[in-house]
Amino acid sequence: MLSKRHTDAGLGVLLKATIALTAVFLLLPVVMTVIMSFDSRNYLGQFPPPSLSTQWFTKFAHNGYLWSGLRTSLLLATATTVGATTVGALAALAISRMTAQWRDPVTTAFLSPLVLPGVIIGFALLMAFSALSAVPTFLKMLAGHLLITVPFTIRMTLIGLAGISATLGEAALSLGANERQSFFTIILPLAKNSIAAGAIFAFAFSMDDLTISLFLSDFNTYPLPVALVGLMRSNFDLTLAAAAVFLMGLTVIILIVLDRIFGLERVIGHGIYKA
Amino acid sequence: MNVLELKDVTKKYGEFVAVEGVCLEIEEGKILSLLGPSGCGKSTTLRMIAGFTTPNSGTVAIAGENVDHLKPYERNVGLLFQDYALFPHMTVEQNVAYGLRYRGTPKPMIPSRVQQMLSLVRMLGMEARYPSQLSGGQQQRVALARALATDPQIVLLDEPLSALDAKLRLELRIELKEILRSVGATTIVVTHDQEEALSLGDEVVVMHAGKVIQRGSPIEIYKAPADKFVAEFVGRSNWFCATRRGRSSGDLSSYITSNGIEIRTRSAPTDRRGSADLCIRPEHIELMDVTQGVVSDEPDQNLLEGVVVDVAPLGADVHVVVDLPGETRLQVIRKNVGRIPTVVPGQPVRLCFAASDVLVFPT
Ligand SMILES: Nc1ncnc2c1ncn2[C@@H]1O[C@H](COP(=O)(O)OP(=O)(O)O)[C@@H](O)[C@H]1O
Ligand SMILES: [Mg+2]
Repeated sequence: MLSKRHTDAGLGVLLKATIALTAVFLLLPVVMTVIMSFDSRNYLGQFPPPSLSTQWFTKFAHNGYLWSGLRTSLLLATATTVGATTVGALAALAISRMTAQWRDPVTTAFLSPLVLPGVIIGFALLMAFSALSAVPTFLKMLAGHLLITVPFTIRMTLIGLAGISATLGEAALSLGANERQSFFTIILPLAKNSIAAGAIFAFAFSMDDLTISLFLSDFNTYPLPVALVGLMRSNFDLTLAAAAVFLMGLTVIILIVLDRIFGLERVIGHGIYKA
Repeated sequence: MNVLELKDVTKKYGEFVAVEGVCLEIEEGKILSLLGPSGCGKSTTLRMIAGFTTPNSGTVAIAGENVDHLKPYERNVGLLFQDYALFPHMTVEQNVAYGLRYRGTPKPMIPSRVQQMLSLVRMLGMEARYPSQLSGGQQQRVALARALATDPQIVLLDEPLSALDAKLRLELRIELKEILRSVGATTIVVTHDQEEALSLGDEVVVMHAGKVIQRGSPIEIYKAPADKFVAEFVGRSNWFCATRRGRSSGDLSSYITSNGIEIRTRSAPTDRRGSADLCIRPEHIELMDVTQGVVSDEPDQNLLEGVVVDVAPLGADVHVVVDLPGETRLQVIRKNVGRIPTVVPGQPVRLCFAASDVLVFPT
């Protein structure tokens, strides 16, 4: 009896310790980066910094190379999000209306880019585009990013649509709404949260992608991750940390805005599973 | 005039025939029950009337007009779905107003029509609630209000009460009938519950394996079932496998069951010496104590003896199970009114039923 209770207590402590360790493991690099970005030394010294300053942020603010990358990244991520969400939602809608015998193979075909490593997709696209030299770099990268994000937006929308009973759409039709009206008044509002979740994933994927952009970018048009890697190779200093902290801040702001619009908990939590 | 007319409608899913050669017509203001076991093609029939499913052959006409080429939203058919299909992101008011919006009710008229419908189903004051904030019975009322709001030419109810618990089901059944009558809606009610079908419908259509087996008033369906399936499906029944004996007097016939019990019947099939399934309803059997005097053997009565196996007093009715000689078991239902003799398991009893109450189905 007593030993059982001891085992229980022991397991409880172990569980808590695991959670604490995981949290530290996840957050420590972030915290260190934030602190280091305020380092007042002008060389890369040991942690922790002896005193704080905002010099790296000033450097980042004046670094045209990184800003250009950030601008391209934001444009690219926005275009990717809009494109992937639209295409993904429409494709998912089409898939959900297919008969069972077509649904599975088509879903698999649409989701197949998920299993290919980014390097392979990037290289394949590079080969494909080398034949079409006239395509602007931005569009090449957009194509690459759509390729990796559309499977996610399809998947998310499909999950959302699966939660919507077919009788709801039929009820709308029987009440006099045509297919288009029933889609915009019933299906879309109910799938909204899942589609939004897909959009967030698409944005995050695009902002974060290095592998595909590395193959497709050039000296004039490059996204932030490519710029950061370039800077790290050529001139490794804490401007990188400042840029990273800036990105983090930007992400937090975007999440707060989304939270105001959709309720974030619902978008990335229940939203995926429940209409 | 017939509001709805189905002519020889057939629907196949691949090789499987879900609905076969169904003909139906329904007069204005009538309620028709479509009764049959699960999977017999009732919902498929409704879906073809509503326009969600296209028949392989046959035609559907509403108010004399062929609607085969019309989309669901081009037909004016009101539907109550089994799961109600209320729009979860809309309030009660928005749900009821939805059809009005798309069926072209002038905007200023919509709120008053919504109020009128909600008052009809006794849901006034619930306008601002969402479906998830309503009980099952309330959701059903709102769904009904939504279906009736646009004044549809025909109202289709698919198992309208099956999602409710037994007590509520009875209450809502009565209310449903009242509401449908008060608006004079021409209605088809689909159900697999015979009690529901008989109580709601002016007429009952019994379906089995995709085909219409019988159509008639509730009384006809119960009293004169067209075949063994209907007799078994509607009401309770005791069955005997029996062979006809050559001899018969007047319009009476005599059958012998495989266990040697003689049963007299009145309805005589033309075939003189065939075998038949005989059916007697439990409520048509009289139960008597063996000590209760000597009963004269009338030729148009059946008199059997057996032993009580089980007695279940179910409030209004008492269900008694009696074993006859030769492993035949009979169900007897007695009304629990007046002075009914109390029987106990193990007690020998006499069973009596009229020859005219025995239904004969030649095999
Ligand atoms: N879309 C479909 N595809 C294949 N078979 C179906 C389809 N819809 C219904 N069926 C079959 O048709 C038969 C009748 O179905 P249904 O009309 O729903 O029966 P009921 O409503 O009487 O229970 C069932 O056996 C069912 O499996
Ligand atoms: Mg059904």
